[in-house]
Amino acid sequence: MTDAILQISDLVVQLGGKHILDSFSLEVGTGEQVLVTAPSGTGKSTLLRCVLGFLSPQSGTIALQGKPIDELSIWSLRLRMSYVAQEPVLGDGSVSEVLARPFDYRANRDLRQNLDRVPGLLTQLRLSQDIADQQMDSLSGGEKQRIALIAALLLDRPLLLLDEISASLDKDSREAVFTTLAALPEQSILAVGHHADALPKADRIEPLPLGGVVSGRNE
Amino acid sequence: MSSTIDISTLGMIAAYALLLIPLAMLLWQGVSIVSRVGIAVVRMTVQLLFVGLYLQFVFNLDNAWLNCAWLLIMILVADVSILRHCRLRVRCFGQPLFVALVMGTAIPVLYFTMLILHRPHILEARYLIPIGGMILGNCLRADIIGIRHFYDTIKRDHRTFELTLAQGAQLHEAIRPYLREAFHNAVSPTIATMMTIGLVSLPGMMTGVILGGQPPVTAIKYQVAIMIAVFTGTAIAVPCAILMSLKRGFSPSGPLRRDVFAD
Repeated sequence: MTDAILQISDLVVQLGGKHILDSFSLEVGTGEQVLVTAPSGTGKSTLLRCVLGFLSPQSGTIALQGKPIDELSIWSLRLRMSYVAQEPVLGDGSVSEVLARPFDYRANRDLRQNLDRVPGLLTQLRLSQDIADQQMDSLSGGEKQRIALIAALLLDRPLLLLDEISASLDKDSREAVFTTLAALPEQSILAVGHHADALPKADRIEPLPLGGVVSGRNE
Repeated sequence: MSSTIDISTLGMIAAYALLLIPLAMLLWQGVSIVSRVGIAVVRMTVQLLFVGLYLQFVFNLDNAWLNCAWLLIMILVADVSILRHCRLRVRCFGQPLFVALVMGTAIPVLYFTMLILHRPHILEARYLIPIGGMILGNCLRADIIGIRHFYDTIKRDHRTFELTLAQGAQLHEAIRPYLREAFHNAVSPTIATMMTIGLVSLPGMMTGVILGGQPPVTAIKYQVAIMIAVFTGTAIAVPCAILMSLKRGFSPSGPLRRDVFAD
């Protein structure tokens, strides 16, 4: 694949002497939305932590837009991806404060005008406009998940990493989330989840094999 | 005013005899720490005896190098003590914390002897060691609070911290709220002491100067100056210690290193 945004090659991760990922390979094309499925505790979150540079693999490489991820390059490469955790902990304060906080960082200051999109995204994701004034600790798990998704989308990164994004969403909220994501044709996504319904409109669904190789589009 | 009255042997026996009251109270209430009190009193006596003898030697010699060496040994002991209290590995943080403690102690103590006391010899044992010791003691307390709060909070909030990094924050941006809170917590006790000083208790230095035969006004001037020096020392030592420890406390890609914790 020549237009791969993310290339993971022969990734090996061991934690506490246990093989979490064993020679795992995967490519995500530009604009492609890929879901990796696996049961709990089999390395899905570990995979995303490796892509984010929070965990160093024992061997293997990860490249984002052709640039290898390492301890130094990750600082600039993180500006090309955004992340929604399984149970997002966005920090203290009101929703509007939490959404504005990333734009205080030097790397994001030029994107501050993206906050104008918040009312539209709240509507799209079936959240009340009043939620902006609420404190984060007063929100339900599903509300936090959708606020975390808005925070990630506002950063306009080419690659979106989603960890079990639908885990705490009800049926209507899930539909709103997946419709929002499907309406972003340029957005590359690497999502992980237990089942195919973690990203039902994915271009490709791949099981996470132990020592297997996943590559290419299933189109 | 007269100089300090020495305590006779009989007087010291009377001082130890005063312990009978707290010991009796402890026994009466069935608080089983009588043996610990005994050990503490013996340790206190022996330790102070040794320090007193050594200080007498240092004061008599009054050699600038020896005075500095003594202060550095005190800083080294404080360094290890802080990291043990913070449950952090000495091999990771010993060196940066030592440098921060030297800065937090040396800057205010030298300022004190040079610009406040106008001493001709700024490394004079009589001033350098007791004033340096007071500043260092407060830096120790503040550093324990500040460093422990900083690393424990990031360890507890690691998911929020990592999300901050994922959102594009550089390390200095990601640690800023934690540093701010740790710094606030570390200097708060010194500020609280300044707020209530003289109302709740007479501070040690002021008492010492009065017992040393100086008028209370002189004692007050010393106390005000030492409180400002202590506050300055803590305000230097805490952020410097945290900032200088970052390289060892965090991995090059940003997350907190778990192997820096001793437990």
